[in-house]
Amino acid sequence: MAAPKGGCFGKVLEIDLNKLTYKAREVPDEIYQKAIGGNGLAAYFMTNEYKAHKDPLAEDTFIYFGPGPLNGTYCIATRTSIANMSPYTGKISHAETGAHLGNEIKWAGWDGIYVKGRAKKPVWISIVDDKVEFKDATKLWGKDSVETHEAIIRELKDPYARTAVIGPAGENQVPIACVIVERFRAAARSGTGMLMGNKKLKGIAVRGTKAVPVVDNAKFMEMANYAKKLCVEKEAWQGIKRWGTAGLLELKHYVDGSLITKNFQTTWYPDIVKIGGEEANRRFWKRHVACNHCPVHCLKLGVIREGKYRGLIAEGPEYESGGLLGSNLGMTDLNAMLILIEACDAYGLDNISTGGILGFTTELVERGILKPADIDGLKPKWGDGDTYLELIRRLAHKEGKAGKLLSKGVTKMAKEIGKGADYYAAVVKGKELAAHDPRGDKARAYSYVFGSCGGDHHEGASTRGLAIFAMLNSLSVCSFATGLIWGGENAKITVGMLNPLCGWNMTEDDYWATGKRILTMERCFNVREGISRKDDRLPKRLMTEKLPAGPKKGAVFTEEDTKKFQDEFYSFVGWDANGVPTEATLKALGLEYLIDDIAAARKEYKL
Amino acid sequence: MEDKERNFPDVLKRESTRRGFLKGSVIAAGSAVALATIGGLAAKEVHAQAKPPEPKKDLMKFLFAERQNCTGCRACEYACSVFHTGVVRPSVARVHVMKYKDVIDVPVICWHCSDRPCIEACPTTPKAIVADPNHNGIILNEKICLGAKCLKCKEVCPADYVWVNPDNGQPLLCDMCAGEPACVKACADQSGNPQGPCLMANKLGFGVNMAFRDVKPEQAGADLLDLMFYPNTVGKRVTPVKTVKTKKARR
Repeated sequence: MAAPKGGCFGKVLEIDLNKLTYKAREVPDEIYQKAIGGNGLAAYFMTNEYKAHKDPLAEDTFIYFGPGPLNGTYCIATRTSIANMSPYTGKISHAETGAHLGNEIKWAGWDGIYVKGRAKKPVWISIVDDKVEFKDATKLWGKDSVETHEAIIRELKDPYARTAVIGPAGENQVPIACVIVERFRAAARSGTGMLMGNKKLKGIAVRGTKAVPVVDNAKFMEMANYAKKLCVEKEAWQGIKRWGTAGLLELKHYVDGSLITKNFQTTWYPDIVKIGGEEANRRFWKRHVACNHCPVHCLKLGVIREGKYRGLIAEGPEYESGGLLGSNLGMTDLNAMLILIEACDAYGLDNISTGGILGFTTELVERGILKPADIDGLKPKWGDGDTYLELIRRLAHKEGKAGKLLSKGVTKMAKEIGKGADYYAAVVKGKELAAHDPRGDKARAYSYVFGSCGGDHHEGASTRGLAIFAMLNSLSVCSFATGLIWGGENAKITVGMLNPLCGWNMTEDDYWATGKRILTMERCFNVREGISRKDDRLPKRLMTEKLPAGPKKGAVFTEEDTKKFQDEFYSFVGWDANGVPTEATLKALGLEYLIDDIAAARKEYKL
Repeated sequence: MEDKERNFPDVLKRESTRRGFLKGSVIAAGSAVALATIGGLAAKEVHAQAKPPEPKKDLMKFLFAERQNCTGCRACEYACSVFHTGVVRPSVARVHVMKYKDVIDVPVICWHCSDRPCIEACPTTPKAIVADPNHNGIILNEKICLGAKCLKCKEVCPADYVWVNPDNGQPLLCDMCAGEPACVKACADQSGNPQGPCLMANKLGFGVNMAFRDVKPEQAGADLLDLMFYPNTVGKRVTPVKTVKTKKARR
């Protein structure tokens, strides 16, 4: 059990909100080699510390803010992973976000921040190097994410500090609440905002002045520079630099046929030209913003220049936010869509789940399954921005009938409403799907179906892709600026950077084994909660209804596709036909501590 | 406009007389940033450039930041700290990227003023900081520098640029990387598309910036916010969140 030589400090900041104390928790090098950091390390902690059927809102659950070994080094585009057991789905969950928070945590001398307990009064935590302070957040409680962020920066008197805060949605414990990082970036999809609200933690602010130790700097810099060069020169990425992910809105509509439209009714949405990247460029964008050391600068900031909200500075649209709150809601007015996006960010709501819920509600109202009387007399119609804005506000505050119903999420709404509503619910493992329609873009089903969070678009689009993304999310680097560009060289580059950085002897085989180990750890956690092959499938609608129009007209995700995907993936990671990791796999991956748990789960769920 | 008059007094006075020089220049003469680049030494340096260049002239003598182009990627901080310490450590970098209201990124650089107030203010004899005649870089003599108890250079810096090394309390001053600034190279590598680099060296062949240097980072941020996000008045936030919280909903 040796301390890490480089890349990591070997200590995680463990904060106990019950007593408002903190301590350094030693993490030996072996565990970093096994689980890397970020999501992987969180999965390791979670599988070790939680028993099966843990209550995600219990006092001793934790949130892990995890950078990886590459954060704070010369590697490009490093991010932050935030992982916890999701109170929304009851499964393991992780969210990745851009901006500079992860690096600042590393520079403060910590490998991650592990927050547990529940404070009696609202607090926010200031972390400056080794100094941790608990500050009163009573005055910030109730403020939106932007005001909170600004208030924290004002109090610290340090424009270089980095923050992660929740908005009113998190405080009101809406299960789709997210964490807003540095005003414009969101760590969503994992219910972390709700958990932070439950712990009465309004936010954290981090500032660091240290450096990450590197074992063999010359070799590390050589590989890091090579990785950077690939990203700078990649021809296909010039478009992303120019248009951000908003450019994909038009692309997925015209070429891929996978743009989410009106709650998965179709993928053909000609009005996309009114809300897509080109229109945003004409009417909205003002500047490009990059994360740490990233040449791609995909975030676009802009200002609304006419109408009621003239002068509103917001970000977007990105592909997911523009898809879910744009084409999914039938929006035809760019400004109205941007206002919805900004409202979600300010309230601290997950754009994707919010869009999914609103789309689902609209379709049910349209089909007469849900009566307007059930949602406070509001009548959501495709493209009706004002009603959607009102619904978002009620959702964030759980206000009235509408707020209470919508804040439950699509799965529970469908159950409560009944009358065949579940056919229109586009959910996998209890979570709304993102903006890629898997009928048009079949490979995306890998991510939706096998991703440990469920319904998540950010977990790889092939069997190997899932292992790569498990690594990327644990290294906490951007899949966009690194993983997708490195392509076939992923293992080579990652190993080439990690070995000189941490002083390890990792081989490319170890890379794949580590990826599989992280996937298996997360899977084991979910198996304990009752996940198996029966849950690894797309919703019924996407498997029966053919696409009515567009470039992929007539496409449908068939039962054969599902079976093929499942068999292929299970054999790749070494799980059995039920989608449960076998004992041999667990032994081979060094996860012996999970064997008993899995045996118990097999008995419990008859797998 | 009040702000701009205060920030760029020289520029506004000299605008008419320097017009001829600007003719044919690629810089849009209308923008405040471009105006700010025209300053006292312009004419003199242009004459100097006309002569056949001597080998020493290849060294970079001035930094320049096209502030509108900054994407906030901090490649300059990375390159600077790697050049000076070998590892990435922005807290000891000699260039910084400040977020202003999280909307604007302001590159905070040393403008290499021609009157060098930091050197003038240095109380030691001989001076702990000197300017290198070849490349204009400010070189710190760590043995002489009084460190945390003095920091007169930090006090007088008109651009609020000087940071303090957290290890020894001494100021962090831009030494121009001996004439080949690493930050400029990193910026050019990184941000070619679509708006071009932010940091440049020897822009237009002169280093002026006498107007630029008096602008503190916060002022620059406020100015840029005003300039780029024009319908928004500085400090005023428009948001759907506030507007939605109407009395009607409360009732």
